[in-house]
Formats: sequence, C-alpha cells, structure tokens
Amino acid sequence: MALEYLEQEPWRFLISSATVIFLVLNIAAVLTLAERKVSAYIQLRYGPNRVGPRGLLQPAADVVKLFIKENVSPGRADRWVFLAAPIAMFLPAAAVWLVIPFGPGMVVADLNIGLVYFFAITSIGALGVIMAGYGSRSNFSLLGALRGAGQMISYEVPLILSLLGVAMLTGSLSMVDIVEYQAGGFWNWIIWPQLPMFLAFFVSGLAEVKRIPFDLPEGESEIVGGFMIEYSGMTWALIQASEFASMAVMSAVASTLFLGGWQPPLPFLDLGVFNWLWLGIKTTLLIFVFQWIRWTLPRLRMDQLMDLGWKILVPVTILWLFVTAGAMLVI
Amino acid sequence: MLREERRAAEEAITLIRPATSRLVDPDIRDEFGLETLDMNMGPQHPAMHGLLRLILELDGETIVRCDPVMGYLHRCQEKIAENRTYPAVIPLTDRLDYFANMHNEHGYCLAVEDLLGVEIPPRAEYIRVLMCELMRIASHLPSIGFLLLELGAFTPILYAFRERERIQNFFEAVTGARMMFHYIRIGGVKADLPPDIPEKIWEYVEGLEKRIKPDFIDLIEGNEIFIERTRGISRLTQEEAIELGLTGPPLRCTGVAFDVRRDYPYSVYPELDFEVVTDTAGDVEASYRVRIKEVYESIKIIRQCLEKMPEGEVMGDVGRRVRPPEGEGFGRVEGPRGEFAVHVVSDGSDTPYRVHYRDPSFVNMQLLQEKMPGHYLPDIMPIMGLVDPVSGGWDK
Repeated sequence: MALEYLEQEPWRFLISSATVIFLVLNIAAVLTLAERKVSAYIQLRYGPNRVGPRGLLQPAADVVKLFIKENVSPGRADRWVFLAAPIAMFLPAAAVWLVIPFGPGMVVADLNIGLVYFFAITSIGALGVIMAGYGSRSNFSLLGALRGAGQMISYEVPLILSLLGVAMLTGSLSMVDIVEYQAGGFWNWIIWPQLPMFLAFFVSGLAEVKRIPFDLPEGESEIVGGFMIEYSGMTWALIQASEFASMAVMSAVASTLFLGGWQPPLPFLDLGVFNWLWLGIKTTLLIFVFQWIRWTLPRLRMDQLMDLGWKILVPVTILWLFVTAGAMLVI
Repeated sequence: MLREERRAAEEAITLIRPATSRLVDPDIRDEFGLETLDMNMGPQHPAMHGLLRLILELDGETIVRCDPVMGYLHRCQEKIAENRTYPAVIPLTDRLDYFANMHNEHGYCLAVEDLLGVEIPPRAEYIRVLMCELMRIASHLPSIGFLLLELGAFTPILYAFRERERIQNFFEAVTGARMMFHYIRIGGVKADLPPDIPEKIWEYVEGLEKRIKPDFIDLIEGNEIFIERTRGISRLTQEEAIELGLTGPPLRCTGVAFDVRRDYPYSVYPELDFEVVTDTAGDVEASYRVRIKEVYESIKIIRQCLEKMPEGEVMGDVGRRVRPPEGEGFGRVEGPRGEFAVHVVSDGSDTPYRVHYRDPSFVNMQLLQEKMPGHYLPDIMPIMGLVDPVSGGWDK
C-alpha cells in the first residue's frame, strides 16, 4: 500500500520535508495578505479587495509582479554576499519547522535536542542580516546591519533563558516530549507556571523577528529599510518571506512550548489526525497579536532596546528560573 | 589628503560653524584611525518632511554634525510675485506652506490691505478667522500624526487624515477647492458661506471635540514607547528658543507665551476669547501637548465665530484693479507652524515692487543644526516632528 511507503525512512523524510517547505512558502504568502488586511482594519481601510474574491488572490499577484521585476544589485556591492544573504535569512526560518510536531507522530524529525536546534537555527538569521547589510556597501544598510546584529545577538540571551524553564519543567529538550507533557487540557499548559517566561519569550521573539516595536534594523523612518534597502525583485521578496516565515515560526514555537502545541484545550475536543488544526488556531492567534502590535506601537530606540533586553528581560527570566527551581524542589 | 591638511581644513570649517561640535576628540581619532561616517539623508528620503537634505556626520549612531540643505523645492515665489498683479499673487501664496494655505492668503491680504487702507466687512473677518482656525486643526492633527508615523506607528496618521479630510470637505464646499483655495481676497473673501455650512461645521466640531480624547490623547499619551522616544529629546530653554527666532509650537512649548493672535492682534481676534497654550518642558513631547491643546483652543474660536458672525457683505470696497499707493505694507498672522509675515513694497503700479514672506518653517529649521548634534540617529525624526517644517514653506 502507498501508505506503507510513507512509514519507510527515505520516503517519509522526503515527503514530510516537501510538505513543510510547501507550507512555509504558502504561510509567507498568506501572511502578506493577512498583514495588509489586519493593518487595513486597524486603520479604517478596506485593504486589498480587487484581485480575486475579497482580495484573496492578492499574494499571487504580488509574487508574479516580484518575479517580473528586475533584480538589481548595486555596482559596488559584494555580489556573492549580497545574493546569498536572502537565502541565509530564509533557510533558518524554514528549517525550524522540521522539529515542530503538528500532531501525534506528525513531525519531520523528532530530535531529542529540539530546543537546542531551535536556538542554533534562529541564531543564523542574524548572519543573514549582517551579510545583507555588509554586502550592499551602503551607509544605510551598514547601519541597519550593525543594529540588526546587536539586537539579535542581545535578544538571543533572554530568548534562550525564557525557554530553560520549559526544559526544567518537562525534563526534556524534545519538542514532542514537551507537547506530550501538556496533554489533558488547557490547565496543563506550561504558560500558567511560566507566564513571565512566556511574556519574555514573546517580547524577545518580537525582537528576534525584527517586528515593531523592535524593527530597528529596518528603521523605515531613518534608515529606510536598513539592511534591505538595496534589494529588489525576488531577493527582496525572499527577505520579506523570511520575515513572515520567522514570525510564523516564533508563533508556532510559542504555541508548541507554552500553549500545548497540537493538544486540544479541553480533552473532549480531540480531533485525532486533525489535531494540527489546534496548532494552527493557536499560531494564528499569536500571529494576529504580532500584527496587532505592529500596527499600533511606535518604534524603540537602540539604547532603549538594549536597556529592555539586558536590564529587564534577562533579570526577570533568571529570577523566574530560580523561582521555578525552588518550586520544583519543594513540590 | 595629508593629515595636517585635513586638520587645517577641519579647523577652518569649525571656525565658520562654531555651533557644531565633534564628539570624537580629533587626536584620539587620528591616532587610532577612527573615522566618523558621513551620510546624506534626503532629499529623496521617504520619511523626511518634503525635500530636505541633511548632511550628517555620525559617530556610531550619534550625530556629530547636521547641516540642513534646502532649495530643492525653490520656485522663486517672491520674484514671480513681482510680475503679477496684486490679486494674482494670492493663488501663489497657497503654494507656500501647503498645510496652512488659508494663513498664507490671510497674511498676504493683510499686507496689501495695510497698503490700501481698506475697510473689511465684519462678516468677512469672521469667515476668515473661521477658515484659518479650521485650517489650523487640519494642520495640527496631521502633524501629530506625522510625528507618530516617523516614530514607527503607522496608524495614527490615518486617524489624523480622516479629520483633515472632513475639514477639507468643508473647504471644498466653501471655496471650491480642497487645498489651493484662493478664497481670502484683498478686501474680504471670495464668497459668502453656503447656507447649510455653519451648522455642519458646528456639528463636526462638536464631534471632533469628543473624538480627540479617545482617538488621539488616550492612544498617544499613555504609550510608554512614545514617552520614551519624545521626552527630553531636543530640550530647549526659553533663551535658546528666542535666540533661534522660533515661533509657534516650538517656541510655546518652552513656556514663552508668544502668539501673534494675542500679542499683535489682527482681524477679529481681540473680540474672541482664547488662551495661548504653553508648556514648560521644551521637548518634543511638550510640543505635541501644545499642538493637541491648540486644537481645543481652535475649536473654541470656531464656536465663537459661528455664534458671533454678523450678517452682511463679505467683500469690501476694493475695485477690480488693485493699485495701492507707494509705500510699504506688512501683515502677520499666526500660522499653525508659527508666525507667518508678509512684507509688500509698492511703487504705485499694478504689480508689487517686492514681496517678502517670512515663513515659520524656514526660521524654525535653524533648530536642527543647533539641536541635532549629540542625539542619536533615530532622534532626527522626533526633532523634525517638533519643528514640523513644510517644504513649500521653507523653499518658497
């Protein structure tokens, strides 16, 4: 039977990887429309509503337009670095999906160090930003790259610290185990004992994916796009897609680690094979929060951003680690 | 260039511009080979107010030197005015500060009326003040929106432009145009208000007064990031503000209560009851507060205008052909950005001998060179929001 092939190793891996890549690209496309629609409703507008019913085909039109556009690279640019940077930014955003469990048994690679893999892969994103800014050889993109490097490296620290509590509670670094730990209903989700950690993770996640109020590397009002100022056509689209994909990744990881992943909120809502719908709903809600913040708040300044990261998030997460450890000893 | 030559050249520059400062000690810089980064912001910059170019010298993200370069929108307004008849200059003044068209027309007409010594019917005066105050709201709210936009919040500008749009609808009904009105004429106004407009303006102003708090004040003032980004940025003392020749909100936010409407009254402002809004902090946040409170004052003035407006003619006894006697005329009004003044010299012919505009955008811009050094690169935008220059104004 065809389904038995799916259980066998090379086929299973190839098919599931292809599914994930397909998913990532489509998520990025759908999110461009979602972003525009959400922003439009927040801003008393309609948003795109011409291409297809209710503007649903707008992403397709955008992609076609971007493919047709010429791919300009500045004459002074370091061509290889310049062209490799969007790929270096996009691949990490896609690769994290490999360890996220979509349902019982529905995971591409059940790594026993899933969390560490997540940290390692997201750190590569900073490399892409530096490559893009440095390869463009423009003052604006250089400033953007420096900001991006400083910001993403600083916010790795609270990001990692905020997930240590999860690892301590579950006693495992595997995403599958962490989701299993949260089975049984929404009161078992890790968000409740780890609420400050969840908030810290969310804030550093915002900074990690360079969204307002932490979109300093782009800084559209002073350095006009920052590291991506020189990109056009498909390379620019790839950078945009990687930003949207990493936003989706952050939301998916947050819902996997803190909100129970594919576990239904109440036991009788178990959908069996379709439990991935729960992960989808939780991720969508978090993505909406990302967008809601994006279209509401102004941007922080670099020094204030660093203050927030090092003086508030890091102490809070370390403090809550001690609280968690103490509570685990006592209980 | 040789190091000595370069140092000499730099010192020469410093002599010309004593106000500019260098954060990097030149000795340390040369010893370690440190360089500051020269950067051009503008004239084609999406977030810059109009066509302004800033030549920046950056030490990391700190601004060491900031030279504003203007002239990219220069249209020889003053010279063109010398070749056009007096009434034909009015549509040109619309193109000066395109966020304060009514004030520009008013200022120019005041100057020519000063030359002519003509009596203006009271109804025309009230209509002028009414229009100017609507214009002030239509300028202040977007300027708050622009400040937020440049801080990175995209949404407030659309709420601000919703209000501006509605006011522009009134302008369209009254004058026939949405921006380039040509409505205030020498000796009065072009036409009387349409019969239903006073009532509609009254209703709109009632609604606006209720909307300002939830739509602007609550969303902006309670926002921690807004306060972080604007408090203490470009802090001005009263002396500095006066020395720089600032007028309008940038001056009043330091606590100097100077308002042409009250101190050099024109039109019917002496008969109206309003307050000169001041603040003490002198920073960007204070200028925001001044602007939002001035909107309330404008609403107050609009109400009084609608209540007190007498019936009667709207055009004084000015012939078709305006030919003032030889002499000089001067008119000054309080525009949304500060004092707008017009000086007209007549040689007795059909066309002015010389017209000079003192535009607040141009004068207030001096603040940039003085206040930018020492701030971070992202602070440029709040400081521009404090000055809120309009490129049609500074370039004429």
